[in-house]
Amino acid sequence: MGYNPDKDFVQYAQAWEEKIQAFIEWRIGEELLPAPVTAAGNIPEEARTQIAGLPFAVKDNIAVRDLPLTCGSKLLEHFRSPYSAAVVRALEAAGGFVLGKTNLDEFGMGSSTDNSALKKTNNPWGIDRVAGGSSGGSAAAVAAGIVPYALGTDTGGSVRQPAAFCGVVGLKPTYGAVSRLGLVAYASSLESAGILADTTERCRAVFACIRGRDPQDETSHETPEAAPALYHAETGRAKKIGVLSPEAIARALAADATGSEALEIAVQASILEDEVRRGFELAQERLAGLGHTLAPVEIPSLKYGVPAYYTIATAEASANLARFDSIRYGARPDWAKNPEELIDKARDAGFGAEVKLRILLGTFVLRSGFQDRYYLRAQRIRAALRRDFESLLGDSGYTDTAKFDALLMPVFPSRAFGRGPSSLSAFAQKAADLYTCCANLAGLPALAFPASVEGGLPVGVQLMGRAWAEGTLLDIAEGYEQAFPFPHPEGFQAFWRQVCTKPL
Amino acid sequence: MYQTFIGLEVHIHLRTQTKVFCGCRSAFGDTPNTNICPVCMGYPGVLPSLNIEAMRMGMMVARALSCHIPEKTWFERKQYFYPDMTKNYQISQFASPLGQQGYVDIEGKIGSAIISKRVRIRECHLEEDAGKMIHAGAVSRLDYNRAGVSLLEVVTEPDMETGEEAELFIQQFRRMVRYLGVCDGNMEEGSLRADANVSINLPGEGLGKKVEIKNLNSSRFVRLGLAYEISRQGDLMDAGKPIIQETRLWNEARNETLPMRRKENAQDYRYFPEPDLPIFAPDAAFLQSVDSAMVELPLPRIRRIISAYGLGEEQAGLICEEKSLADYFETAVSQAEAAGLAKNDAGIKIANWLLQDVKRILGKEGMDISDIGAFRLHPARMASLAVMTAAGKISGKTAKQVLDAVAAEDKDPAVIVEERGWQLLSDPAQIACAARTVMQTEAAAVTEIQASATTDKRRSALTAYLVGKVLAATGGKADPKIVNSQLEELLREAAK
Repeated sequence: MGYNPDKDFVQYAQAWEEKIQAFIEWRIGEELLPAPVTAAGNIPEEARTQIAGLPFAVKDNIAVRDLPLTCGSKLLEHFRSPYSAAVVRALEAAGGFVLGKTNLDEFGMGSSTDNSALKKTNNPWGIDRVAGGSSGGSAAAVAAGIVPYALGTDTGGSVRQPAAFCGVVGLKPTYGAVSRLGLVAYASSLESAGILADTTERCRAVFACIRGRDPQDETSHETPEAAPALYHAETGRAKKIGVLSPEAIARALAADATGSEALEIAVQASILEDEVRRGFELAQERLAGLGHTLAPVEIPSLKYGVPAYYTIATAEASANLARFDSIRYGARPDWAKNPEELIDKARDAGFGAEVKLRILLGTFVLRSGFQDRYYLRAQRIRAALRRDFESLLGDSGYTDTAKFDALLMPVFPSRAFGRGPSSLSAFAQKAADLYTCCANLAGLPALAFPASVEGGLPVGVQLMGRAWAEGTLLDIAEGYEQAFPFPHPEGFQAFWRQVCTKPL
Repeated sequence: MYQTFIGLEVHIHLRTQTKVFCGCRSAFGDTPNTNICPVCMGYPGVLPSLNIEAMRMGMMVARALSCHIPEKTWFERKQYFYPDMTKNYQISQFASPLGQQGYVDIEGKIGSAIISKRVRIRECHLEEDAGKMIHAGAVSRLDYNRAGVSLLEVVTEPDMETGEEAELFIQQFRRMVRYLGVCDGNMEEGSLRADANVSINLPGEGLGKKVEIKNLNSSRFVRLGLAYEISRQGDLMDAGKPIIQETRLWNEARNETLPMRRKENAQDYRYFPEPDLPIFAPDAAFLQSVDSAMVELPLPRIRRIISAYGLGEEQAGLICEEKSLADYFETAVSQAEAAGLAKNDAGIKIANWLLQDVKRILGKEGMDISDIGAFRLHPARMASLAVMTAAGKISGKTAKQVLDAVAAEDKDPAVIVEERGWQLLSDPAQIACAARTVMQTEAAAVTEIQASATTDKRRSALTAYLVGKVLAATGGKADPKIVNSQLEELLREAAK
């Protein structure tokens, strides 16, 4: 194991990159030396060996000193960061080094990475398909074996959905488990830095390295003592897993949708593709076969998740993106007659259509006199959702006993979709966030991992857990991986592990 | 006559070492854009972290204004675009400000108006300041040193009725925050800024149409701006014309307010809770640290000093204008008292010296009376001077010279008096000796005094003449009272 930057690898990486276009900028031809290991001894040795001396990729909305921080936007196309994110510094201190910055939907807004203003990223399993998003570049780079792991951000599924599309592991940690310092904010109360990794073991190691309180992020916390251990948990291997029925959700949505064309589209978008349903069912069988106890659960409030999510996310986005006025940095118009016109022109030319749509939505829902109807109502739904999840999984303070160790659910209703007529509309893509966005609304950890390959494309499933219980989710997924090794796309070579597992 | 309602919004820069949400130095007079970092410049990906000192100072002001401090206080984002706002939203407080529903009493005089009033305080909230945009011909320049500096906004209820009351409020609020040490109160440099709002209406009709006045950068302009605005609105009402709800700017060159913007284009700030900062719930230890940082406030101190030291109201007010001066005064008096002086004697003497001589000496050195804490003429020296004067070692006139000399040479008063030989001659034998010599050289005057035909008036004039001669002979050092008594005794003896 170890970084192997010989000619073979460089050619391998370049050949893949030509096809998938995962990176906005990378240092593949440069001589890269890992930073000296400086991390204090709080990272377990088994974690360090998964990181030290190895490259990683970073989604281009996470700051790395002197590298671009484009966020996939024209406005920041030439912006380079004067500082590094806390998560990047933690990995560098453990001996990791940044290979490059990966493509994304502009400011993390999208589910395909096609909303990037700078380039199009393709799925390593089929280059006519999207890699998912918004962390599509990071997922594609890991799936292609260019890096063993990559950092992403997850605001409503932006790590887990591309992980599922590309057949890799994707972790969205508990809100506050990982510092947000250096993540270009889209929706501050929802998002977290996340991990896309080739294996569960790697994912666990990276999480062990980046978690913890950062004084510069006042919303970050140490893991409570009562939470399950990340390594060498003493609990048994057999877990109680609640299975969320996608059919029940679709029925609940349909009951409300009568007469509304938009809601009909939302219902259609929530229904699982046959291949995804097969993968989901297979995962249930296999988990039961591994000794876990599975039982069906229902979460009625889930049907309100998407509207609540988009209300809160766009409200926060409208404020978070206000700083991009091109006064202090960012692309400027050639000429403006006053500062106000400079701001108007820069934002008009700099932002893509999806970003403008979300800023306008957020501005709309925060208008004075309308907050009760939209923003505050969304916050009430959010609180109800959190209560519903806590009643099944236990509370974040570990004062009660949980009914389930984890909840199993789909990641996304479809596998990686194509472009053109076979694509999903922007509206359907939002509606399809229903399985992922609830973890962000509730602030709970969620882990996507490849369940199977159906029709030549990977299908991912998702485990959601109690706050601070990433260890439990990783244990379940690791057991699955040991029995059913994760698949790889054709042409994949393992540079990051001694034993290359064959595609399923 | 109309009823007038005046409310004030006062902003103060808190004297924290660093800015309110980042570690930059909180000094905005420096070379432009030198005290900045990615956080206060609103770079992508940065997060605020609360400066706890700013919260503490804010709560001190809230306490001083008898405000309720809530169990939980938090921040909101106030959104509007302006080039000097690096994030295009200001982190401020809206729903749960750190201080709520208090009051403050103001007492004093503005010109001939004697004011004594309780003003209710609506709230105190903590926020960040913006940068500064300077328009210079065809270009606009931006200095972000001020961006992110801790700002506390204090909002009063519309309880004031005249420009004089508003001016007194500003003066006494300024004195209070200087006492607390949380703000230097400099209005010219903008570390204390006030906006006023005023409305008038027929008595009993309640609030009228509110007009806000900005650009009031001295307490005098607060009074003048309000007086102008009250009379302008009164004229409109008299003429039956409508008063427009708007924001007006005080123009100090033209001595009038001019319209700035109408309220119908008022901005919607789209407040929502700041997701990057957790709710702040002050614990007992934090509240204790606020309480232990509190000091005796000016008004109670004035009352105490009047009764404890026997000073007049005006004099006590002047002594208490600056905390450092009042502290100095009380230290010096207590040291004089320890040396056996009566409290009132020492108090009055020292107060007089401070308000006349010391003020003059400091002025000559280009120092302000508030700098007295660091001055060479420290309280122990002042106390010893009071003791020497009371004991008759030096005259009152000499004492003033001693003050100058102590300030100039940085020596103790006793040393100055000794070196210059300024102590009064009080030995009766020595004075009698000098008097005898004078009586010999001024034999004619002595003879005239003793002549029976001499009128009393003439006699006392001649005696005063002889006293003057004796004083001159002792170089002015003899105690005039003793000279007088010795001379009279000698004259009586000579007449026998």
